[in-house]
Amino acid sequence: MRILGEICLLAAFVGSGFAAFACVAGAARSHRRVRWAGGWAAGVSVLGLGAASAILAWALYRRDFTFAYAAQYSSRLLPAQYALSALWVGQAGSLLVWAWLLGVVALVYRWWPRSHDLRPLAPRAESRHGVARRRWPDSSRDVVFGILMACLCFLTAVLVFAADPMEGSLAPVREGAGLSPLLQHPAMLIHPPVVFLGYALWTVPFAVAVAALASGQLDARWVRQARPWVVAAWCVSGVGILLGADWAYEELGWGGYWGWDPVENGSLIPWLTGTALIHALLAWQHAGVLKKTSLSLTIATFALCNFATFLTRSGVFSSLHAFSTSPLGWLFLGLMIGLSSGGVAGLVWRRAALAPQRPLGSAFSREAFVLLATVCLLLLAAAAVVGTLSVALSSLICGQAVAVGPSFYNQVLIPTGLTLLLTTALAPLLRWGRGPSEAQKKWLIGAACAGGLAAAAAVVCGVEHPLGWAVAGLAGLALAALAGAWIVDGTQGKTPPFGRFRHSPWRAGRRQYAGFLIHLGLICLAVGVTGSSLGKRQREFTLREGQTVEWAGRTIRLAGVKQRELPDKLIGEAVLEISRGGRLEATLAPAQHYHRLQEVWTSEVAIQSTWAGDFYTILHGGTEDGQWYLSLVENPLMRWLWLGGVVMVVGTAVRLWPSWRKSARQAGGQTPDAARDERRDETPTSNSLRRIVPPPLSRARERRRWASADPVPRTEERGKT
Amino acid sequence: MEPRFKLALGVGIVVAATSVMAYVGASASWDYYVTVAECAARAGPLAGQRVRVSGGIEPGSLRIAADRSQARFRLQDGASTLNVVCRGPLPDNLTENAEVVVAGRLKADGQLCGDQVLTRCASKYESQRSEEGP
Repeated sequence: MRILGEICLLAAFVGSGFAAFACVAGAARSHRRVRWAGGWAAGVSVLGLGAASAILAWALYRRDFTFAYAAQYSSRLLPAQYALSALWVGQAGSLLVWAWLLGVVALVYRWWPRSHDLRPLAPRAESRHGVARRRWPDSSRDVVFGILMACLCFLTAVLVFAADPMEGSLAPVREGAGLSPLLQHPAMLIHPPVVFLGYALWTVPFAVAVAALASGQLDARWVRQARPWVVAAWCVSGVGILLGADWAYEELGWGGYWGWDPVENGSLIPWLTGTALIHALLAWQHAGVLKKTSLSLTIATFALCNFATFLTRSGVFSSLHAFSTSPLGWLFLGLMIGLSSGGVAGLVWRRAALAPQRPLGSAFSREAFVLLATVCLLLLAAAAVVGTLSVALSSLICGQAVAVGPSFYNQVLIPTGLTLLLTTALAPLLRWGRGPSEAQKKWLIGAACAGGLAAAAAVVCGVEHPLGWAVAGLAGLALAALAGAWIVDGTQGKTPPFGRFRHSPWRAGRRQYAGFLIHLGLICLAVGVTGSSLGKRQREFTLREGQTVEWAGRTIRLAGVKQRELPDKLIGEAVLEISRGGRLEATLAPAQHYHRLQEVWTSEVAIQSTWAGDFYTILHGGTEDGQWYLSLVENPLMRWLWLGGVVMVVGTAVRLWPSWRKSARQAGGQTPDAARDERRDETPTSNSLRRIVPPPLSRARERRRWASADPVPRTEERGKT
Repeated sequence: MEPRFKLALGVGIVVAATSVMAYVGASASWDYYVTVAECAARAGPLAGQRVRVSGGIEPGSLRIAADRSQARFRLQDGASTLNVVCRGPLPDNLTENAEVVVAGRLKADGQLCGDQVLTRCASKYESQRSEEGP
């Protein structure tokens, strides 16, 4: 089996290398057969990686200790699901999964039917700006695929030459070392593959950007190609980060979910630059600005994914999550430096094509706020980089290594986070290219009043910290602004009887409203983070069986202590009855687990979760005379943090849901979305800033217009385009 | 005022506020990274300062209070050792021979009062196996 695995890896390496060469060379010379061969080689490569992953998974499941990897991360006592999850716990296994996911993503990119490619070309193929209406050429798609294969070749080379997952055990092994007890948690079953899927997805926009830079086709087509992948990668990375936070919250037993640890920062930094990238791409598409920023962010985000890999694997930084001290991390750092230098060179080379298409129309236009939000996100990312590298940087500059603590990051988060929340809240009531309309201005004033009321409500409800007031105010502002935008879009600034919209804002701007839904998710997240940071309370108790204490408005009774024995561990748990106002609310069982194989104790916390907050209990241990040591923690509003993540995922799903099939039937091939995209691609120039708002078209007339390819006078797009 | 200048003003305010807060936060959580040997040699100048020290826990020196509110151990790095008293959340995998980084304040008598301990479980795990051979 091991030999078969080695052959699969070798096939994957050779296949991806050939595919990279064949696709790029075939595209350059227009050799269709060479490109076709490249596609097949890529298929073989991904198949090889899939087979190698399956072989390793089988070895872990069967506890085949002839594989050194299985001996190191699995054991006969380990439950089956954790034995399989060991596939992405170790260094070599995780790289194998990453490579396989990247291969699958590359194949999906290559063969995914694209609405823009399927769409018949408009009669007026050359738009005002030259190429905006032409489709993304097949040769460019092959170049992108070739770049993806080159990245895959790098990963498979690392697998073949530096971190072989199929390596054999040197001597017969009776029992494996097993999985670290801290990693035996449901979130850890999926956290690593989700993070690696995020990295794999970030590779696609990077490859598209490099292909666009290389070919010089730097119009809105590359943005259209990259945008869905950017959104998908952003969502998957966000889910990965939240799963990691959930693991830290429940498994590390200290009542927190984020410690600004180097590895946590490593995953957060590309997510922050990726968030900035999504908005910069929108600004490019709608207002023809932030072009250099968009391309820089695309390359930087992928480079920072490699930086995160370096942080995790180099062993240079002290972190709970670090894999090991291995030279492998330096390979990824080298790749990151190479990519950054190449990106800068490419931008300088193509700087003429990347000049803004028009000056800023208004300081209260949407692109101005996008720029402000981008600056905040980059400041936050820069603070995370500086903080993480503070030890290395300070010893290099001053000769004395200095590390900064969580307080540094938290302080930076205050101005940047509040500004981000403000821009997020106001976004629905702003327009691209110019300031808000009269109707939007009225709603802005109304939303500001709603924000003030929400802040006052927070004060009345007993929130003591000004930051809490600010976040409550901004949350109120965001909700009111979204409601206002919905009404303004539905009525197009007119005042019909309430509830009778001229057309549905949701249908007209589904993607836009999906974005606003994601914004609401961010607001929920901010509420959760603020509540749990400012309102956290903790107290230690020493209790005997049957004893009761009063704390945080609750009565806590230690009903008993139980012991259980499982094949791999011994469990001691305290049964706590939590009641409020004489009514039993929950029974919690915080525990200590003794893992026989590793001979370590781990704390398993128990949490009572409500919308008001989490009641978090930790059992530390006890004495022979029956005293039990417990920590009780109150974390207000924690559930809102996880809800924020769920809302963001739902918003992304709505945003990415394909619309062209249904609409294509309606409109004979050209969709309202696509048509709108095209109109947006014709980046508005100053004379196209519509001053007159024509009356809304009837549905039938509107449909006829979508079907017709004749240039039509632009209408006000729901008051915001 | 030109829209560009208004925007530049907004960006400037945010950048300035962030810089000030970053300075405030950094100066409040400034830890010097020192080795165990440096702690012993520069106990005087470093006394009262916040430091981070990395090393291994000397076998047989680890004492953890029953309620896990406090741990005492000797940190070892080569031939030098340092007495450490840690309060605050103690990680589950704080065991003999563990590789740890302790953040805290150094006292004049050379003892380190830690408030944060970082252990590197997975790394210890891996290196242990590779040293012993599977």
